[in-house]
Parts: sequence; C-alpha cells; structure tokens
Amino acid sequence: MIELSQVSKRFGDETAVDAINLKVAKGKFCALVGTSGCGKSTTLRMINRLIERSSGDIILDGQALEAYDPVKLRRRIGYVIQSTGLFPHWTVARNIGLVPRLLKWPADDIQTRVEELMALLGLPIEEFAHKYPHQLSGGQAQRVGVARALAADPDILLMDEPFGALDPITRIKLQDELASLQGRLHKTVVFVTHDMDEALKLADHLVVMRDGLIVQQGTPLALLQHPKDPFVESLLGGLERGLKQAALTRVKDHMSSLGPTLPSQYRISADFSLRQALSMMLRDHTDRLAVVDQHDVPIGELSLRKIVKEAQLEKGSMREA
Amino acid sequence: MKHSDQHADRRLWIRSLIWGLLLVVCVVGIAHAEGLFRWLEPDARQVIYQRAQFYELLGRHLLVVGIAALVTIFFGVGAGIAVTRKKGRDFLPLVAQLASLGQTFPPVAVLALAVPVLGFGTLPIIIALMLYGLLPIVRNTLAGLQDVNEEIKVASRAMGMTPLQTLYQVELPLAAPVILAGIRTSVTINIATAALGATVGASNLGDPIIAGIINGNMAYVTQGALIIALLALTIDSLFDGLQGRLRQRLSSPQRLS
Repeated sequence: MIELSQVSKRFGDETAVDAINLKVAKGKFCALVGTSGCGKSTTLRMINRLIERSSGDIILDGQALEAYDPVKLRRRIGYVIQSTGLFPHWTVARNIGLVPRLLKWPADDIQTRVEELMALLGLPIEEFAHKYPHQLSGGQAQRVGVARALAADPDILLMDEPFGALDPITRIKLQDELASLQGRLHKTVVFVTHDMDEALKLADHLVVMRDGLIVQQGTPLALLQHPKDPFVESLLGGLERGLKQAALTRVKDHMSSLGPTLPSQYRISADFSLRQALSMMLRDHTDRLAVVDQHDVPIGELSLRKIVKEAQLEKGSMREA
Repeated sequence: MKHSDQHADRRLWIRSLIWGLLLVVCVVGIAHAEGLFRWLEPDARQVIYQRAQFYELLGRHLLVVGIAALVTIFFGVGAGIAVTRKKGRDFLPLVAQLASLGQTFPPVAVLALAVPVLGFGTLPIIIALMLYGLLPIVRNTLAGLQDVNEEIKVASRAMGMTPLQTLYQVELPLAAPVILAGIRTSVTINIATAALGATVGASNLGDPIIAGIINGNMAYVTQGALIIALLALTIDSLFDGLQGRLRQRLSSPQRLS
C-alpha cells in the first residue's frame, strides 16, 4: 500500500509536482499517464527516494517513508526504466542477481532465483545467462530489466515507461506478458506511461496528470465513460473513446442466451473484447455473432443492436449515480 | 568473434615480448659491441659508456618512473574520483585546471626550482615526473567517470547500491579503459622525461646521454637513447596488451560472471 498526500516537488522556482494525493492499494496496478513533463516520473522517483519531495507525506505499508533507510528501501522496491539501465559489463545472469547479491543471499539461492526468473520471463538460460546486454534486442533487454526488478521478490514495483522504446509488436507482447505476470504475482505496481492504450490495458487505477497536477483518477472504465475535461478526453482518444471502452469489456458480459433462431455462422470466443467483436461485425458485414466457449461450442449470441442499447443504459445509470 | 579476439590479444602480447627481448639484448650486448660504436665515433678514447652498468641504469630509471607513476596514479585517480562525487563536485574545475597547470611547467623548470629546496639526486626528478604525469591521469579519470551513462548510475542507485558499491562495481570498471589510457600516456612520457634526472645527479639512463653531449661523444648518446626508446616501446606495448584484455572483458560474449 502506497499513500501520497499533498506531495509536492519544486526544482527552484518550478513546481514539478503540485500537492498530489494518490492511494495505491496492495496488489493493484496504478498507471500515471500524461504528456512529457507533467511530473509523472518525478512522482514515481519520490516513492523510492531517488528524488526527495519538497513537502507532503508518503506512507508505505503504514510507515512514513522517512522511517526507511533509502538504500534498504530501494532494495525492496523493484524499479524498471525505459533505457533498462542494465550494467553493460555484467552478464544477464549477474545483472538479474544484483539485488539478491546486495542483500547477501547465499550464492545457491541467488542462482536458483535467477534461473526461476529467466524461466518466468521467457529467457532460456543456456541461450541468455552468459550474454551481455549489448547482445540483446530491445525486448530481451527489457525482459532482463523486469527480471532484475523482480529478483528479490519486492512487494512494490515502479516502472518508468518500461516499454516506451520498443517497437509496437514487441511492446504489445511485453504488455500482455506483464498483464499475465501481474495476474499471478499481484505486486503493487506504479507504472508511468504516455501511451493511453497501454495504461487502459494494464491499469486497475488510472491517474491522468498535467502540469504537476492530477487532473482525474479512477478506474479506466470510469474515466472513459466520464472524462472530466477536454484534456482527459483527448488523451483518451476523443472519438475513439467508444472503441477503447469496448476494448475493456468482454464479449461474455454482453451476450444473450441462444435464441430459437440458428446461431450466426460467424463465431467469436467469449473471452474476446467487445472491440474485437465490433471489428468482426464490420469485417464480416453482419450484426450478429455466435459466442463460443473454448471448445468452440456455441453458448450465446451477440447482437449489435443489444450492444448499442446496453451502452446507452450504462451511460444513463452512470449519470444518475 | 571469440577466436579473432583472442588472436588479436595474443598478437599484442607477442609485440611486447619482442620489444622486451630487444631491450635485454641491448642492455647486455652494448658492452660487447665496441666495433659498431667505434664506427660511429672513430676518434673517441672510449666508445662504450662505462661509468655504470647499463642494467643498473635501467633499474634506477625504472625505479624513478615506477615510484612517480604509483604516486601519480594514487593522487590522480583519487582526485578524479573525489571531484566527481557529490561532495567534491565544487572542486572539479579547480582540479582540472591544476592538473593542466602541472603539464605546462617544463620538467626542466621544475628541476631547476626543486634542486635548491630538495638538493641534488633522485627526489627532484621524481617530483618533476609526478607533476608532469598528473594531467593525463586526472583528465582521463574525469573523462572516464563522466562518460558513464547517467541512466546506468540511476539504475544502480535505484537497485539499492550504496555510493561506494556504485563506484567500485559500476563506475570504475566502466571507466577503466579510459583511465588506463591516461596512465599509459603518463608513464610513457615519463620514461623519456626521466632522462633529465641525469642533469641533477639522479643516475639513470639519461647519464650516457648527458655525458655524451658534454664530451661530444655521439656513441654514448646513442646508447642511452636506444635503451630508453626500447624501454618506452616495451612498456607501451605492455599497456596495449592490458587495454586489449580490458576491452575484451568489457565486451566479450564468452566471459562469465
């Protein structure tokens, strides 16, 4: 659990972060989104005291941040940066084992842990353990970066635009892997990005920042449905907002039970997103899809009319609430 | 890649072996090559420098350069480290300027100034060499440490390394090739400069050269110059090998840990 209250950071006359309040519950994934220079990275670095704040309180697991020795604090918080910051003169295995070594784990335990993490992040040991960072592709290097951050099994993970420098395909692959990793590990994550799609995809809690202020925060769905002002709306993609919202909704939440009519010849898995369903409808010129389970057995139906109607209802109910 | 690297590495060491052998041959052989030097100075009474054995001169020469190098490395690298730390950053311009100043002093001037204070002998030349050799070491230590990628330093701090751990495990290993290049320049220059010590009574390989100049004996000058040149080439190629080894360690795919 991380709690920031009235936290500010001033560099000389310039206020980088202005009295922000932020609560990240244990095991939750919080994304800080905003244009460059909005103070999101500064906010992140105040949590592991790479930057000392000017005022306000940060509470970590019930204790004020000052109660922790900075060096010890950092050893229990994972940190991943865009440029990876891997040590070029160390092998992949040695880079990953850095924090356990600082914590003076026995050599055998470090070895076991490094192998475990390399397996977890899809880095075959025989192929990668003895490579040097400059021999890795961008995606591989960032996997090593994530493995290094996870090495001492920290509860908290800070990630500063970790996938920002990767090509789109690798980036999406690593996002998917991070999502599934988080599904298993349940770390408390604070994730900085300027890519709204990335944030929408990964976050439980979305924080939009501008000029050092938090403009709006809430669940991704809440922000999509009710952006507070034009800035948030434009960050969320303006006209694309409907599709982004659809991307966060599963097909199975909108399907109706099988009717007396024959199911459509076009089939979609219940776990796909509504966005994918809409795309299929456009592609296949149909307004009805058969929803199937993992064994390709039809379990329901999805109709365009119903999706539109439910979206209307949702909006209405949110207004009342 | 591994093969060619090792190959290049071996070639570097073979070169220093050859220069070293030539050096030994000259030190031992000059005394027996009277005929050769007689041809250079047909009218001189003596053509082989005989006031001291060449190996003694070589030993004293190495001692002076070695002591000066050790002290310079200690203070030069130390100062470079100190002014790139948070607490010493204010002194960075001062140290950089002082080191440059050291090299603008001609060693001869340093000798002339040092003799009245320290007397004749080995000490003045060691002082002169230290001052003269400080700049390349300080300059390269600064350049090497400042060149270490900022993101890597941030990462090391963020992972929970103490400043000392960052220095020893990250900054110095990454700056080592540049620092070593500075030490190489400093030592190589000083091997030649040390010969000036002969003018203030520090007996070394400069002796035959000075004696030769005073007596108009080119054979003496040649003997001293030849051995100094071979010594410089040997030491320089040793550094070359060391740098190659270091480069390999920093980029070799095969090296573990």
